[in-house]
Amino acid sequence: MKLTYENINDKIKEVLNGNQADLSDVSHLDSWSLALVLSILIEKQREAKKRLILPTNKDLLRYLKEIGFSEILDELNYKKEAKLLDGIEATGQEDLNIKKITHCRLRSHFDGKLSYFLETFREFGLKKIDPERVTSLIGELGNNSFDHNLGNWPTDFMGCLIIVKNYPKEKYVQVIVSDAGVGFLTSLLPAFPELKNDIEALRKGLRGNTGRVGEKRGNGLKVIQDWTIKNFSGKVSIQSGEGLIEVDKNGMHEEKCNKILGTIAQLTLHY
Amino acid sequence: MVTIQMRKFGTILNSRPAGREAALRVKQIVNGANGDISLDFSKVDLLTPSFADEFIQGVKRLYQDKKVEPTGFSENKVIEDTLKVVKALD
Repeated sequence: MKLTYENINDKIKEVLNGNQADLSDVSHLDSWSLALVLSILIEKQREAKKRLILPTNKDLLRYLKEIGFSEILDELNYKKEAKLLDGIEATGQEDLNIKKITHCRLRSHFDGKLSYFLETFREFGLKKIDPERVTSLIGELGNNSFDHNLGNWPTDFMGCLIIVKNYPKEKYVQVIVSDAGVGFLTSLLPAFPELKNDIEALRKGLRGNTGRVGEKRGNGLKVIQDWTIKNFSGKVSIQSGEGLIEVDKNGMHEEKCNKILGTIAQLTLHY
Repeated sequence: MVTIQMRKFGTILNSRPAGREAALRVKQIVNGANGDISLDFSKVDLLTPSFADEFIQGVKRLYQDKKVEPTGFSENKVIEDTLKVVKALD
């Protein structure tokens, strides 16, 4: 079974059973699905009977090892599974287009990592000023995670996860910044009590001017979608709670999905 | 004219708290000097909208009677775009 951005909302039911996530039949996980699985594992981390069954597909296991999945599992107290994954024999050939998952627990760590991402996008072959622009986009997404959740993270897993992948033949990069935070609706509701659900909150956030109570600000997401579409002919996909919104040059598409803890934001950027 | 060399705050300028802190530092650097304020962004790699918003608005609030002019970004179109977003290039 392949889990992808396109089918994960339907297929996740075949993987999840209570506190158990069974990936044994999964042969492929794209970055979005990986972020979504991580979001579920974070949510279940404190459950005594939590269980993760790793994939049996050797290529997928090697991929998960190479992107540092076991380090995140270890952090989430899936010790046995982390150890199993660590024992997998690696290919020994580093794929320069895939980077390890980055977990920035604190804002200071995130700030420090931006120079690494700037260098990464230069290595990926992005030209002229594009590495700076993509890194700025990561900066804005990560800043949102910290600005909206500081002191109020729902679980002990604080901070944001960043996944970047380069597709050199197709000439695009995919960037994911996710967090197990309070999500758009909880964050915006005090300033905008008229919001009824996650999709309305996402729509509000993407239109800008969404400073929280007592603030005059909140144009970060507007900048993110403007630059993604105008400078990279790209697409922004954001899921928060049970709402998913995609924005590209054709406009906005909204969808109700299975609820997640926090937010996953994905940028598809052509270069 | 007082020139603030932004690279001395770092080549990667990110986050709202850092922008607020930098604006407060400008007050100490200007320290009552006369003239307008030039913000020199040369040799800065990255300026995120979050930092720019807090910093530019913070400096403008402190010096409402002075002209606050960003300079030195001609080779970095992303910094120029960011300054436009936060309305620093009016």
